[in-house]
Amino acid sequence: MKTLLLIACMIASVVLIGCNEQSSDSRVVVQDKVKSDNLGGNAVTRPIVAAISAVVGHGVEVKDVTVKRNDADLLEVNVKGYNKAYSTKQFEYFMEWLDKDGAVIESITNKWMPVSAVARSNFSFKTVATTPEAVDFRMNTRKNRKVK
Amino acid sequence: MKTILSLILLSILFALTGCVQETRNIDMVNDDAKAVLGLDYRDFDQAATEMVRSMIGSGRLRKNDGSRYVMASGRVINDTMQRIDTDQLMAKIEEELLNSGQVVMTSAVGSGDAVDQLVHDNRDLRDNEEFDQSSVAAKGTLLAPDLSVSGKILQRNINYDKKTQQVEYYFQLKVTDMKSGLRFWQKETIIGKRGSKKSVAW
Repeated sequence: MKTLLLIACMIASVVLIGCNEQSSDSRVVVQDKVKSDNLGGNAVTRPIVAAISAVVGHGVEVKDVTVKRNDADLLEVNVKGYNKAYSTKQFEYFMEWLDKDGAVIESITNKWMPVSAVARSNFSFKTVATTPEAVDFRMNTRKNRKVK
Repeated sequence: MKTILSLILLSILFALTGCVQETRNIDMVNDDAKAVLGLDYRDFDQAATEMVRSMIGSGRLRKNDGSRYVMASGRVINDTMQRIDTDQLMAKIEEELLNSGQVVMTSAVGSGDAVDQLVHDNRDLRDNEEFDQSSVAAKGTLLAPDLSVSGKILQRNINYDKKTQQVEYYFQLKVTDMKSGLRFWQKETIIGKRGSKKSVAW
């Protein structure tokens, strides 16, 4: 039983590592079914890998958040992340801009906005304050239930 | 027997009353309900937010000397199968443009509800002895707009398959310089939906 479990784990590791293969330039992502099949990513192993990923609960990770004042003197936030899942993740973000006292600035743009992150790929989105009074922000996310 | 019958009737009555769909207010901030095939308030909010962020964030409406552009609301054409009050959409955008401090909207000229007729009626009071003439707007006090904002909402219906239809909504907005006629900014936001052909997209 132990041996079987060990073999299963080894196969799972090989499969997962194999699928994490990077292209020669990290800025370019070549998805499964576009790039050549390999041990970790082929017609047989792909569904297994996707299932394992779903069981493990892979999702979106935020890698970097940059904040700057743009040419219009407005606060601009650029969020960079990576979708670890083997499926496209659709989510929404809610941005609240804060003034110098930390109070929320009322705005019609305080709405849930959609973002789509392709499987096993980097994603980024940019949002900009609509008033120069914004000096800080607060962001929340949720699953986008309007999209399938 | 009568008692049993009464009890059964009462139970049926309770059961039926319990099945009535309860009316609830929508949580307008965190509404995560399913999509509808027509345009709902969330679609307008999304389109308006994208437009406003792009327009203000582009910096094209920011004057270097710190003064503000005077902007007039032009026509927004509704070319969809739905009854849309385009002034409602523009009201959101105008509100945010005003709050940005980059532009000031004029009510003297424009399209639809953007014009406040009282601005002109007030000028008809000139030479009316019933009014203190120093409180009546003098000639040459109105400011002509520097910019206008206008647009269009389009709808395209496509047969996706036997059971499904695809409905595409295009929100287009542009800002034009009144003196030169040159376009300062423009954007198109697309909202696409797929749903049953039995659903009506209007």
